[in-house]
Amino acid sequence: MIRIVLAFFATAVVVCAAIVFAPAGNNDDPAQTDVTRTQSQTVTSPTLAPAIAGQNTSDGVAVSAASRILAATGGAVQPEPAIKTDDSSISDTTAGVLAALGLATGAPAPTPTSTTGDDKMMDMTAGALAGIRAITGQPAPQQAESNSLQSLVAKALQEGQNDAYIDALLNEAAQAGDVSVPAMLVTSDGRVDTSTLLASIVQQATTMTTGQAPAAPTTPLGAADGVEVRVVQRAGETEQYKFYTVAAGDSLGSIAVKFYGSVEFFPRIFEANRQILSSPDRIQAGQRLVIP
Amino acid sequence: MLRFSAVFSAIFIFTQTISAQAQTVSITQDLPQVSFSINGQNFTVARIQDTENQLTGDFTKTSRACPPFCIQPMTVAPGVDTVGELEVLDFLQTRVSSGTGLLIDSRVPDFYNNGAIPGAVNVPFNALESDNPYRDDIMRALGATDSGDGLDFSNVYDLMLYCNGPWCGQSKRAIDGLLDAGYPADRLFYYRGGMQNWLLLGLTTVTPANGG
Repeated sequence: MIRIVLAFFATAVVVCAAIVFAPAGNNDDPAQTDVTRTQSQTVTSPTLAPAIAGQNTSDGVAVSAASRILAATGGAVQPEPAIKTDDSSISDTTAGVLAALGLATGAPAPTPTSTTGDDKMMDMTAGALAGIRAITGQPAPQQAESNSLQSLVAKALQEGQNDAYIDALLNEAAQAGDVSVPAMLVTSDGRVDTSTLLASIVQQATTMTTGQAPAAPTTPLGAADGVEVRVVQRAGETEQYKFYTVAAGDSLGSIAVKFYGSVEFFPRIFEANRQILSSPDRIQAGQRLVIP
Repeated sequence: MLRFSAVFSAIFIFTQTISAQAQTVSITQDLPQVSFSINGQNFTVARIQDTENQLTGDFTKTSRACPPFCIQPMTVAPGVDTVGELEVLDFLQTRVSSGTGLLIDSRVPDFYNNGAIPGAVNVPFNALESDNPYRDDIMRALGATDSGDGLDFSNVYDLMLYCNGPWCGQSKRAIDGLLDAGYPADRLFYYRGGMQNWLLLGLTTVTPANGG
C-alpha cells in the first residue's frame, strides 16, 4: 500500500516539474507568438499524461519523463542507447544489401565514412583509401563493420529466412554490439526496426525495376493512428500543424514512411523536432513529434 | 681466318635482324619490356613499336599558362630523390611488387582515369594537404600507426609520386602535404617527367576507369 502511495507521489512530483519547466524551455524561442506558446503548453501535458497513465510501474516512467524534462530544459543526462548506431544513410544500407544480392542499384557503392554526399574531402579521402587498399590488399576495417548489417540481411534474404527470423537475428547482433544500425532505425523500445529496413529494401528494388519513385500514402491518417492536426494562428497567417504521438515499436524511419512514403524523409522530421530529440535513435513512446 | 670472321659477322648481323624484328623499340638495349605483378594483378610495360608514332592531343601542348602550370625544379624538397623512367620501372618491379612501395598518381581522379602508369594508385594531391581533416586516415593506410598523440611513420610504404609532367605542380603539393603530415623525406621519391615524358617515350599506360 505504502509503495503505491509513494509511486503516486513520485509521479505527481514529475508532472508538477514538467508543468513548471517545459514552458520555460519553449520561452527560448522568440519566434513563437503567444498563441503558439499556449499551444505548446497544451502539447506538453498530454505528452506526459498518457505515458504515465499507460504504465503504472513508476520507475520506467519517472526515468523517461525526467529525461524528457531534462532534454526540454537543456539538461544533458540521457539514457545511453543499448544499440550501437551510426549515421549511415539507409539508402547506402539498402544499396549494399541489393548489391550483395547481385542487384545493381546504379547508386555509388557505399563508402565507409561517407555521411553527407557533398563533403568533397571525405569522398576524395574515401576514394584514395579504396585505391590504396585495392592495391595493397589491406582490409578496410570500418567498411567491414558498417557492412556487416548489410551482409547479415543479404545472407538471411538469400537463405530465404522469414521476417521474424531476420528481426531476431538483427536484434541479437545489435544487442551484442556486433553491428551498428542507422540511428533512424532504432525504435522507441530500443530495438532494430527490421520491418522498415526490409520494406525499404523492397521499395528500392521496386524502384529499380519499375523506375517509379515511391508515392506518399494517400490515405489520410486520423486520430486513431496517433495523429493530431492543430491550427495555429500567427501574425495574420493560419498554419496547420500535424502532431504524431510515438507508439511502441516506432522508429523515425517508420514514421517517415507513414507520412511521406519513404524512410529518406526522416531528416525532415528529425530537424523539426530537434528540441526534444537529441539524436534520431532517442525516440521514445509517448513523445509528440511535429510532422512538418 | 678472314672467312671465319666473315661467317661470324654474318651470324651476328642475322641475329641482330631477328631480334630487331621482334622488338624494334626496347626500353633499354637489354630490356625489351618490364613485367611485374601487384597483389595478384599482372602488368607489362613496353614501348609503342611503331617508329613513326607521334603524340596527339593534350600532351603535345608547349605553352600552358603559368601560373598555374609552371616548370618544376629538379628537387622539390630536401631529402626527396628525383627519378626517371627506369627508376620508376625498377621501383614497380621491386618495391611495389614486394609490397613495400606504392607508385602514387597525385592528380585528380579524372586525369588518373583517363590514363595512368600501370600499377599506380590514385591519391589526389588535395587529399594530402593540411586542410583535409581525414588526412590521417590516408597516413594510416600508408602504414603509419598511432603512437601517443601522433603518428609513427617507421613502417610506412616508400612512395614514388608523379603527375602530368615537368610543368605540373601537383606532385610537389602532394609531397609537401606528406612531409607536413610527418612522412619521412627519405621514403619519398619524385618522378618529375610524369605522364608527359612517359607518353613521349611511348610507354604503356592504363585507363583504370575502364578496368584496365
